[in-house]
Amino acid sequence: MNGAQAFVVTWLSASLGLAGPVLLAALGETFAERSGVLNVGIEGTMLLGALASFLACHYTGMVWISLLIAVLVGVFANVFLAWMYVSVRASQVVAGLVFNVLTLGIVSTVYRRAMPSSAAPESIAMFHPLHLPFLSSLSVIGPALFGQTILFYLTLLLAFAAHFVLFRTHFGLALRASGENPAAADSAGVSVYRMRYAGTLISGAAAGMAGGYLVLAQVGLFRESIVSGQGFIALGIVIFGRWNPLKAAAAAIVFGACDALQLSLQIFGTRVPPQLLLALPYVVTILAISGLFGGKAVQPAALMRPYVKD
Amino acid sequence: MAKFIERRLTPTDSPWAILTTTAAAFLAAMLVTAFLFLFYDANPLRAYVALFHEPFATVRGFGYSLVRMSPLALIALGTIVSWRSGFSYLGFEGCFVIGATATAWLALVTSVGARIGPVPLFLFLPMAIFLGFAAGGVWAGLVAFARAQLGGNEVLISLMSNYVAILILQYLVSGPLRAPGSLPETRLLPRATWLPFVLPGTRAHAGVLIALAAAGLVWMLLQKMPLGYELIVTGFNPSAARYAGIDVKRRLLLAAFFAGGLGALAGMVEVLGSQHRLMDGISGGVGFVGIIVALLARLNPLAVIPTALLYGGMSVGADAMQRRANIPSSITFILQSLAVLLVLACDALRYYKINPSSLGRRTRQTTAGWVAK
Repeated sequence: MNGAQAFVVTWLSASLGLAGPVLLAALGETFAERSGVLNVGIEGTMLLGALASFLACHYTGMVWISLLIAVLVGVFANVFLAWMYVSVRASQVVAGLVFNVLTLGIVSTVYRRAMPSSAAPESIAMFHPLHLPFLSSLSVIGPALFGQTILFYLTLLLAFAAHFVLFRTHFGLALRASGENPAAADSAGVSVYRMRYAGTLISGAAAGMAGGYLVLAQVGLFRESIVSGQGFIALGIVIFGRWNPLKAAAAAIVFGACDALQLSLQIFGTRVPPQLLLALPYVVTILAISGLFGGKAVQPAALMRPYVKD
Repeated sequence: MAKFIERRLTPTDSPWAILTTTAAAFLAAMLVTAFLFLFYDANPLRAYVALFHEPFATVRGFGYSLVRMSPLALIALGTIVSWRSGFSYLGFEGCFVIGATATAWLALVTSVGARIGPVPLFLFLPMAIFLGFAAGGVWAGLVAFARAQLGGNEVLISLMSNYVAILILQYLVSGPLRAPGSLPETRLLPRATWLPFVLPGTRAHAGVLIALAAAGLVWMLLQKMPLGYELIVTGFNPSAARYAGIDVKRRLLLAAFFAGGLGALAGMVEVLGSQHRLMDGISGGVGFVGIIVALLARLNPLAVIPTALLYGGMSVGADAMQRRANIPSSITFILQSLAVLLVLACDALRYYKINPSSLGRRTRQTTAGWVAK
């Protein structure tokens, strides 16, 4: 394998790997936003999921159980958020943002209590890359496409499932109606509150799982900066993907490619300062949602508008 | 007959109701946090005494509380200007970093032997304020431009811009501005550029006065000046503002410029007043705690000062607690954010009305009924 080929292989493979967690979070967020709730709290939920899965895996050593715990913690935390968004009718941006600060406090407090001697961060059991027979031995695309962990394929599967549920089922129709025109949905017999709770809880489950994905398939240990804006990037991917799960998958891979560029350029030695390369995914996300490419017209009409049933 | 608890059609907005619901929410947050102290095998009552004694009952500690209050208050004031103008800006962490970087750079280039040479403080300070304010204002103004001209979402763009600013800072302190040594930081800024200390025996510096002056100016802007009125109308109802002949886009840009400038002044105060050098991680979440302060002060510029003093003091107390009792200072993050969330939730209580008189009547009736039996 020559140098250029090696570069492409590591870059592609890392692109897909890094796209996984943000895509997962973005899929869940699509449900929340389609129901009319902008859940900014997925950043904090991811952090909670990451810590929960790390601690679970530290004590049990079982990766699937740890992933399940991350999902449950995500759902549980978002019961509170859904109550704030839907029942209290607090400003969604404010509640989500303050929730993120709250989780930062909770996570560092709990982590320090659970791991008092954190001189050297402890590593834990992880998901390993699957090597599919025949497919992984294809040149270039083989190791990149077919050398990912099972969580990556699961996430892709969930993207198709999300698309089906959102556009081909009654539940999906009711959910979208609650985000487009809640009053009309209500008179058609849809419980808007229930749909919005459902959307928020789905985004909580997905964000918790995305946190678990980060720990169990990518990093293998926990630090407080593990999420560092990936939840916010997922929010950007939802916009760039036009609130559509499959388009979000494409957007997430574009984001992953930007993020991976910095990794693979560092491996191959470059004089560009690493911090400027690290800023690339954020800058690309800013450009993607800056309105240069439109987008306002297709967002759910009742997004961020609390619904009051008379 | 009036029920004991009655639902109102609209929430009451009497100051008394607002004060009691806020206090109730704060007490509830303290109650929840008390359990966390138990989790750390600490007596909650003594922990709370420790949390509030150092920052508010000792002269030295109160000086530190004032030092922490200033950046929080400035960021909260920026939040108020932008949010009341209908611009949900969340990029104060980034503005703080930009302001700190710009003024630290200015201090480094005006030191002895540098390109410009030393400048007396009475000249340096206005220069630093001007440069910091303009840098932060333009930084936030870019986001407002994306919203006003392109229709982008300012909430997300401003959140992303925080990370970009922090990475720019990391690049500068580990590259061009780095001092020899193991840590990514600049060298100590020249003493001549430090903000003078204002209270003898404490570390309280002139940044406190800057924060107080800013609170007064923002209050004047929003309450007394036609421009502030136009900003608030823009925030309340953009289409009504447009019909009234207000240039909404320009007001939005102006609000963002003020907000970013105030956020950058917070960074300036921190770097010239207390850190005296620029380093990685200088912001440490202050941009978000400042927003929380503004929310708790219900976007009122004068209420910002006591609220920021309370929150700044709590962080001083938390550090003392961490040193003495080994309770992590992150516990105050929980207390501070939970308080705001519960304040939001307790707003629902203002829909209800208690009729104590109905209670009295009912007791008499039951007594009468009992006697009749």
